Order: sequence, then C-alpha cells, then structure tokens
Amino acid sequence: MAAVSQSFKTDLLGSIPSLRAFAVSLTQNADKADDLVQETLVKAWDKHESFEPGTNLKAWLFTILRNEFYSQMRKRGREVQDSDGIMTARLAVHPAQHGQLDLKDFRSALEQLPEDQREAIILIGASGFSYEEAAEICGCAVGTIKSRVSRARTRLQEILKISGDDEFGPDAISAQVTGSNAA
Amino acid sequence: MTKNTTAGAANRRRAASGDPLGPNSEIGRKLKQYYDELVSDNVPDRFAQLLSQLERAQPAQKKD
Repeated sequence: MAAVSQSFKTDLLGSIPSLRAFAVSLTQNADKADDLVQETLVKAWDKHESFEPGTNLKAWLFTILRNEFYSQMRKRGREVQDSDGIMTARLAVHPAQHGQLDLKDFRSALEQLPEDQREAIILIGASGFSYEEAAEICGCAVGTIKSRVSRARTRLQEILKISGDDEFGPDAISAQVTGSNAA
Repeated sequence: MTKNTTAGAANRRRAASGDPLGPNSEIGRKLKQYYDELVSDNVPDRFAQLLSQLERAQPAQKKD
C-alpha cells in the first residue's frame, strides 16, 4: 500500500467538522457520532488509494461514514430509533411560543424523522450537496432523494406547526406522528 | 453575467423557483442553523491523535 500523502492527511483533518456534523445528524447522539467519525477516518485511511484525487473528498468521506452507520445499525438490530417510549417522551415536551421557532424544537422534530428522510434533508439543505451528489452518497436515484427531501420537509412542517399550536390536543399529535388516518 | 458556475446557477435556480429549503424557508434556515452549530463545535484532540497514530503505523515505504 502506498503511503498516505500529507495533503490527504491534511484534507482528512479539515473534513472532521463536517463529518462530525453529519454523524450527529444521523445518530442523534454525540458519543456515537464521534465513534462513527473515528471508524470513518480509519476506513478512509485504509482505502485512501481508492479515492480519486480531484474528485469530491467530502462526498467520498460522507459515503464511507453513511455506509458505516447503516452497517452498524444492521448489526445492532436497529436499536437507534422509533422506540415508542422515546417518541412519547419527545412529544411530551411542551411547545414553544408561536412565532420564532426554537432550535431545540427543531432538533427534536428532526429526530422524529426516519433516517432516510433526515439524511436527505441534511445533505441537501445543510451540507451543501447537490441532489446528484446526495444520490451518489446514499446510493439511490436522484428522484428518490428529491422525494425524501420533500417528505422530510412536509413532515417537519407538520411536527413544528403542531408543536407551536396549543389548539391541537395530544390525540391530534399522535395521529399525525403515527400517520394514522382513520377514515 | 452570461456565465455561471454550475453550482451558482443551481443555487440561483433554486432560489428563483422558491427553493423550499432556501433562505426564505423557516425550515431551511433552521436546518442551516442546526448544522452550522454542529460544524463549529470544537474538534476533540482524539481525531488528530488518531491520524498521527495511523501515520506512524504506516509501513516505512519507498515512493512508487
């Protein structure tokens, strides 16, 4: 294996803040996120030869991080999300006053999204990737990313509107969250 | 103004078409605020140490 170049190492170092932000967005947990970043750096180091200089290093690293995240989740049997207890606890948080949307409310709304929607809206709306790049990172079609982003946005709007409006009782909230639409 | 970078043009297009995650969208603004806060978090030393470790662990090797 060829030695890793200084510039590759420097670029890796420079990517760490973005990698950590993406990792926290995926895991919703700072410790797990840092472990994930560590794994990503080791993997990137090991397979540095498969990176084509001149292409987007950040996208390459995000792909590694994301693959690592999902493979860990599969190993752990998806403990990460959607336990009923956690959901209830989150919903019990009292809504902020209407008007300015609180960052804390936003964070908990984001947590309620399914991972695929959350990563899509983060990649497009925050990390600055194009739809094409995001599709490549997630290994899916551009159209899939577009529809995930759009569903994520709709869902966030629903959650946040509800959490800012006292007129909605708990029943309306749980109906929204479970997506139940009893006709 | 006749030439744009692809990204610039894409951004402009998104802005012009009322980008649902653009600066005019509350969700878009919050998303960036949320993410920027994460990005600006101080990076723990363990990562620089890790890379130095990896570097030291490399087999001493001639350039190829």
